[in-house]
Amino acid sequence: MRAQYHTVALLLCSGLLAACHAAFVPNDRADLILWKNQAGLDEEAETTSLINRFNASQAKWRVVAQSLPQGGYDQSVVAASLAGRMPCVLAVDSPMVASYAWAGHLRPLDGYVPARTLARVSPATIGAFAGKVYAVGQFDAALALYARRSVLARMHARIPTLDRPWTQAEFQALLERLKASGGYRYPLDLETRDDKASWWTYAFSPMLESFGGDVIDRRTMTSAEGALNGAAAQRFGAWFQGLFAKGLADRQEPDDNAFVDGRAAIVYTGDWWADAYRTSAGNDLLILPPPDFGTGVVIGGGSWQWAISTSCAHPDGAGAFITFMLQDRQIADMSDATGDVPVTEGAAAASRDFGPHGKSRIFYDLMRRFARPRPATPAFPAIATAFTTAMRDIMDGKDVHDALDDATDDIDGTIADHHGYATAGGR
Amino acid sequence: MSAPADRRGWTPLWFGAPAVLGLGLFVVLPFVMALILTFTDQRLVSPAPGAFVGLRNYDRLLSVSALVQNPVRDGVPVYARVRSVTRTKRAYLGYRPLAGFGLGRRRVTILAKDPAFLKALGNTFAFAVMVVPLQCGVALGLALLVNAGLRGQTVFRAVYFSPVVMSMVIVSVVWAFLFDRDLGLINQALGALSCGLIKPIDWLGNPSTAMPAIVIMSAWQGAGFQMLILLAGLQGISRELYDAARIDGASPWQCFWHITVPGLRHTIGFVLVVTTIAALGLFTQVDVMTGGGPRGATATVMFEAVQHGVREGNIAYGATISVVYFALITILILIQQLMQRRRVGEAA
Repeated sequence: MRAQYHTVALLLCSGLLAACHAAFVPNDRADLILWKNQAGLDEEAETTSLINRFNASQAKWRVVAQSLPQGGYDQSVVAASLAGRMPCVLAVDSPMVASYAWAGHLRPLDGYVPARTLARVSPATIGAFAGKVYAVGQFDAALALYARRSVLARMHARIPTLDRPWTQAEFQALLERLKASGGYRYPLDLETRDDKASWWTYAFSPMLESFGGDVIDRRTMTSAEGALNGAAAQRFGAWFQGLFAKGLADRQEPDDNAFVDGRAAIVYTGDWWADAYRTSAGNDLLILPPPDFGTGVVIGGGSWQWAISTSCAHPDGAGAFITFMLQDRQIADMSDATGDVPVTEGAAAASRDFGPHGKSRIFYDLMRRFARPRPATPAFPAIATAFTTAMRDIMDGKDVHDALDDATDDIDGTIADHHGYATAGGR
Repeated sequence: MSAPADRRGWTPLWFGAPAVLGLGLFVVLPFVMALILTFTDQRLVSPAPGAFVGLRNYDRLLSVSALVQNPVRDGVPVYARVRSVTRTKRAYLGYRPLAGFGLGRRRVTILAKDPAFLKALGNTFAFAVMVVPLQCGVALGLALLVNAGLRGQTVFRAVYFSPVVMSMVIVSVVWAFLFDRDLGLINQALGALSCGLIKPIDWLGNPSTAMPAIVIMSAWQGAGFQMLILLAGLQGISRELYDAARIDGASPWQCFWHITVPGLRHTIGFVLVVTTIAALGLFTQVDVMTGGGPRGATATVMFEAVQHGVREGNIAYGATISVVYFALITILILIQQLMQRRRVGEAA
């Protein structure tokens, strides 16, 4: 009975779709279907207004935007690629660019987006694979530590700067002093409440890199051996485990308000929380670079990026759209509307908050100086789940070496199954 | 060939056709495709079509071995690190420790190529064993309560049923708050009731309490549905039986045990089967509340299948998990059917 309804519903739907299609009046402009993730109302509205601006600015193409829920966005793109119904322009989460490029779903941007335009963009927001650029971001995000000036003063802690961030020893000593002060059950909030692999790789693989390890050996991109389970990675794992074992961080904060409510003294998160924290902490708020764990500060680079699908019939139109979106004015407007970090110096200067004296300038500086993209390999989805599983197990007390060995074997196994991703499908 | 005979042959088929077509298209066909996938290395994102790899997926999923070690140092025995052995010795490549025990001076480690799956399998059945009696017991209690002829029972019936119509994701998020160690209502209530004797329990953060916590929450959420079915069963029992029993001087307990339970036998059987099937598909609560943690304590088969098949994009391996799980459940159902048939045979 149920199945019958399915069939009827399916027939009705296809009928409706056909009707819609017929109602579409053809004109002299070529339609470019665009897919984007729903990242929030501000971003939604601003993207729509930028698209309208693009459509009004020329007479050859019309971008038709369709936004899809962010939760299942990757799955939708994968489904569309399997069904051979990719849109023309699409937003891709930066770590997925290599996957799609390798699978042949994306077209290199060269020839469609001028090299001059790409050269002005912050390097971490370029989605490259096998020596070619496949995607580019209009904005980026940046990780930082948030703290209160009054709390650090009470702890007699030095206020770190971009040039002199906290060392591991300083950071650790501060956390332990905060804990000993009795004012905080868990002085540090690492946002581990979010158990998604996207957050864990974005937030904690840069820490691993700062320790001197990595989720994959970036010289060869064919193995994680040594990088993810070597001495540096084990030191990172032991330190990370200690944070939870010593009660310096909570494995799962009950809500997102640990810092706002004063339950935590320091929170490690992204620029998207800046406004909420400014509202609650006012002038007392400090936005600080993450600690240098040995080899310099590292933060994750690369947010959602624009790409052109292989099946796009009008790649020059798609390229014109992306080039338009990368104009300083459009970047600055997007940044003003959403608080996202602009990716060019010109746009930062033109924006409300990211200019040389803007209140969010630090995020631009952090991105320019410390952002490192996640490894551009089609193995990334496997890396993300393996790394996240290992780190969550380590947090919960699993033997650090065993956990990292497991993750390394998972990643190397996946790469071996694909013969090292030698047969790239990118064209 | 006469016309009536022809009609008798074709009419049922015509009537059944839409349902059969739907079932074939949406259930049988996907399953056959999944079965084919299990013999390939198909990925969701890949330039090459899946290649035939024989039984590799099954080998990786189900291989089990054991490692017996002599201590490298006597006294307090010290053994070589298992993971170092399994990563270097050819015979153990690909294996990871699942469980271990001492055997005299020796240490035996059970190894598996995918210990996470075997653990998830155990977790899923443990969940079913815990949640089915609890949920059905609670449901029966509630059904008796709202059938007792008390005042306002319609209101209570609606109240008890309301969790069922709520989205499982929302219920999970709310219960994650309730279970919080420091701020959660459950720990605060336990602390207050025991005058602080019961220390805050890290319900979802401790491997030994995480699954029971999910059991409690799932039973609370689902019991209303079983209550409704049992209520229908209760109302099907003739009042005359109770009246006759009361005249004979039966106590309420005797009435329950000798009239209600036998009268509900078929309903209870149905409820048990439905609850078990639902329990074996446990996914949403785990995905929202614990993400399979801590240390795999709440990972279930469905969670593993989604994790590998969708999030890692290894659809062939995800399909293999589903197919193996399907086979296991089929065997269980066959055993249950056999036992039931034998019991019916004995009764006759």
